[in-house]
Amino acid sequence: MSKKDFSSSRVHDLFGSVLGVFALSMLISSPWQVDTSGPDPFYKGPLIFPIIVSCLILAGSLPSMWRLLRPSLHASWYLDGYGKPFKNMIILGLLILYLAGIVAIGLEISTWLFLVIALKFVKQDSMIKITLIPILVTLILFLIFKIFLDVWFPEPLIMGFFSE
Amino acid sequence: MFEHLLAGFWAAVSPGNLAALFSGTLVGIIVGILPGLGPMVGMVVLLPFSFAFPPDIALSLLLGVFCGGYFGGAIPAVLLRTPGVPSSIVTSFDGYPLTQKGEAQTALSAALLGSFGGGVISVMILIFLAPALAHVAASFGPPEYFTVAVFGVVLVVMAFRAQLGRGIMLLGLGFWFSTVGIDGTTLSQRFCFGTLSMQNGLDIVPICLGLFGIGQTLILVEQEIMKNHDIQLSRSTLDFSRLIKVLKYWKTLIRSGVIGTFVGLLPGTGSILASFLSYDVAKRLSKEKDLFGKGTPEGCLASEAGNNAVPAGALIPLLTLGIPGDALSAVLLGVFTINGIYPGPLLLVKEPVLISTLYFSMLLINVAAFVMLIVWLRPFAMIVKVPGRLLAVVIMVISMVGIYAVNTRLFDAGVAIAMGVLGYALLRMGWPIVNLIMGVVLGEIMENRLRETLSLGDGSLAILLHRPICIFLIVLTCLIILVPFILDARKAKNRA
Repeated sequence: MSKKDFSSSRVHDLFGSVLGVFALSMLISSPWQVDTSGPDPFYKGPLIFPIIVSCLILAGSLPSMWRLLRPSLHASWYLDGYGKPFKNMIILGLLILYLAGIVAIGLEISTWLFLVIALKFVKQDSMIKITLIPILVTLILFLIFKIFLDVWFPEPLIMGFFSE
Repeated sequence: MFEHLLAGFWAAVSPGNLAALFSGTLVGIIVGILPGLGPMVGMVVLLPFSFAFPPDIALSLLLGVFCGGYFGGAIPAVLLRTPGVPSSIVTSFDGYPLTQKGEAQTALSAALLGSFGGGVISVMILIFLAPALAHVAASFGPPEYFTVAVFGVVLVVMAFRAQLGRGIMLLGLGFWFSTVGIDGTTLSQRFCFGTLSMQNGLDIVPICLGLFGIGQTLILVEQEIMKNHDIQLSRSTLDFSRLIKVLKYWKTLIRSGVIGTFVGLLPGTGSILASFLSYDVAKRLSKEKDLFGKGTPEGCLASEAGNNAVPAGALIPLLTLGIPGDALSAVLLGVFTINGIYPGPLLLVKEPVLISTLYFSMLLINVAAFVMLIVWLRPFAMIVKVPGRLLAVVIMVISMVGIYAVNTRLFDAGVAIAMGVLGYALLRMGWPIVNLIMGVVLGEIMENRLRETLSLGDGSLAILLHRPICIFLIVLTCLIILVPFILDARKAKNRA
């Protein structure tokens, strides 16, 4: 695949069109999404800039929308040869679970668990890596954020369960 | 003036500041050496930690990463032909052929001397140019600021004119992100979708961390960027005799440093252009033109001096006009504003000690990075052997906890994940992500200046045509938009 083909993949057009549709929906809904009950005239008010910005996005997306609807003969969905991002979707899922884990089981256990599972998943699972790195990183995060920076973390829900 | 400089010097050499700039430089070199990461990832990961410190120390920490990253990027470019930062690709044109000839020490000496010289020259230009520019900007009112901001935005968009539509969309999206939350002027809710969390708006920190920190690490998980781990280094430190040998290219060094600084000064141009331009000018003016591309230390020196001069160059519009020159200085703008300091022409008058500290810190960062790499050359070079995927997972965890720690809000971590997905998509498609960041950072400035200008003109923008600076900037902006298209059309016509 040539460089030209890479940059003219239909994936770009699809993404641009999604942004365009998003901008259009924001443009239409902005009178309801923006509180304009204040006394200011339109040019001093909170609505003028969002309208300009939505129009800007929409204008930028028009070529993408046109190409998506009327593709050229050589248009293809090929992007870069790295395939669909299944691996990343799983990592992102783990990351969301990690955030929920901080609330449910606390920073330390959640961090350790995320690192063990994620390292195993990305095949960095030699005995040394999978044992040492999660413990080391958890310890460093605990020391920096809880001891040094004194950041407040929510009390794990599981603690409440045990105290009852 | 002198007493401010002296106070700035003492603040720069205070133990806290020295510790911050050394740690920042160390992190910068490491992330610069690791292909696929770069100084931006280092800066956004350290951003949450920087809020625990006073502004001068926080800025030293992040500037250390900013400058250190460009120093580090040259190492894998010379040794493995894999640039640690994109702009170091130019260094590999001559660095890698020299390594193949067994002259890795000469190539690295030239690259490091270039980085050091470029950095120091650009800081000197910053010290002399910033007050002059601030003096001019002191007479600016809202219309002038608005036209300067428009000029900057147009430069950013036109820097990626091959992707014009995409650049405009991302800039607009960045502007839109900046409108979410309570409007500072009228206290009206905008795009809060009925939720309390959205009322605080989308903070710059989770946006940057998501787009660059998480987005880039997702790419690292997916793609094996480093494939060659064979490092050819004859000794663990840099050879001083080679360093002295490359000093004969001092004219190239000064010229490239100046070019890099002025390229960095222009919003949106970035370090890649600085590197290419410095290299090209060095090649045209060199007595050994034929050696360029086949392995000459002069080429390595020119490209590294050019790209390492960019950080100080980018600080000039940031400090004097409050307009960041690139995504990295946009993050620095975030640090300023979070600490209640608003860059602009009055900053040099209001905070002279902070500015002097910044100047001395930048000089010290260049010295620190240079010395660190001379002494620990081989240990630093060995960093490329660390598996990228392992690093990616660890960076994700640090980013998540760091982002939560800034405001102790899990909502911010959620925003960072959403931005990470967006950043991953944009990076993979090769869209100009810098436009998005510039939009987020400049959105509030643009909106406020626009509304102030419209208020002054009773709802009309015709007021711009009554002010000479605005007319000059509007003409310049039009030229920047039109000239490239006219040149392209002429080229196409000639080809036909």
